[in-house]
Amino acid sequence: MKLKLDDSVSSPQDLKSMIIEIREYARWFGHNSIKKRLDARHSSEPPALSPGASAVLREWNTKAPLSQKSLDGLLSTLEKYHVSAPQLTITLSAPPANGLKKTLVAWCRDNIAPDVLVTFQFNATLLGGMVVRCGSHIFDWSFRRQLLANREQFPKVLRRV
Amino acid sequence: MSSLFLQLFLLLNVFLIGVLATVAVRHAYAHFRPPLHEAYKTHPAKQVVHLPPEVREHLLEAAQANFQNVLDHSARELQHDLETTSTQLNKQLEKIGSAIVGNEMERYQMELEQLRKQAEAAIGGAQIGITEHQTELKAKLAEEMVAEQQRLVQQIDTKLADSVASFLTEILQHNIDLGAQTPYLLAMLEAHKTDLKKEVTGEA
Repeated sequence: MKLKLDDSVSSPQDLKSMIIEIREYARWFGHNSIKKRLDARHSSEPPALSPGASAVLREWNTKAPLSQKSLDGLLSTLEKYHVSAPQLTITLSAPPANGLKKTLVAWCRDNIAPDVLVTFQFNATLLGGMVVRCGSHIFDWSFRRQLLANREQFPKVLRRV
Repeated sequence: MSSLFLQLFLLLNVFLIGVLATVAVRHAYAHFRPPLHEAYKTHPAKQVVHLPPEVREHLLEAAQANFQNVLDHSARELQHDLETTSTQLNKQLEKIGSAIVGNEMERYQMELEQLRKQAEAAIGGAQIGITEHQTELKAKLAEEMVAEQQRLVQQIDTKLADSVASFLTEILQHNIDLGAQTPYLLAMLEAHKTDLKKEVTGEA
């Protein structure tokens, strides 16, 4: 069964955090099921979930009703997802805002692979643009790279000015 | 004895007085008869000389020879005197010329010294003026150099800034706005979508 992660869950670290949240939720769900079965009066509150984890649970619930078994299946699916999902690393010249992150992740999942995980890094020496590492391949679209590649044009520009 | 001498002395005196009286008479006579004497000189009385012609010829030749000797002697003396005079004149002229030349030279040297002092004074004044002018020029040059340096630095800064801006604009084109790079990033991804997809598919 395939999962569609929320764009806020972009990197393997986000996915790992979400797995831990859902595991906690599954543990709570199991305890709460036993209490309901024993007709216990006191029931504990469910653990707080991130929007991404809530979205995954909602999506998973539409496919199969929530039970201890389905939650274990979800966790198993997420673990497989974490292991097998393709990964991209995008390095920007500054820490990216959430909007930019979501935009880039949405584009990658729409155009490259729906299950791709994107890790964001930043390096101020890039000056601008980005560097995309995909497996062993690196695409350098940074401003620094462009400036260095065209540095022989600087004397021409200097003479022209 | 003494009386003898006295008598001899008196006789001698008488003789001398007589001689003196005779001479005085003759002189008086000659004094009081001058016309006769002048006439005698002017028109000397013809003397009748009775000499043989040979003697006369001999005397004439001797007289001519003597006269010639006298003339030659006089001429030699005159020539000698002339030479002496000429030498002395030359010496005097040389002395006078030397004195004049010395005086002129001294005057000339004095004037030259005066002119030299005037020239030195003028040159000294000019040197002071030149030094002052040089100082002013140096100060002015230093100021102008500083101003020119600042102007050049400013010009270089401006040119460099323009150059860098132009270079960045030319190289990065419209993506130079670092605050709005999302379209540029998406365009880059879109341009290399195939490569990325290939890499991801291969990795997956």
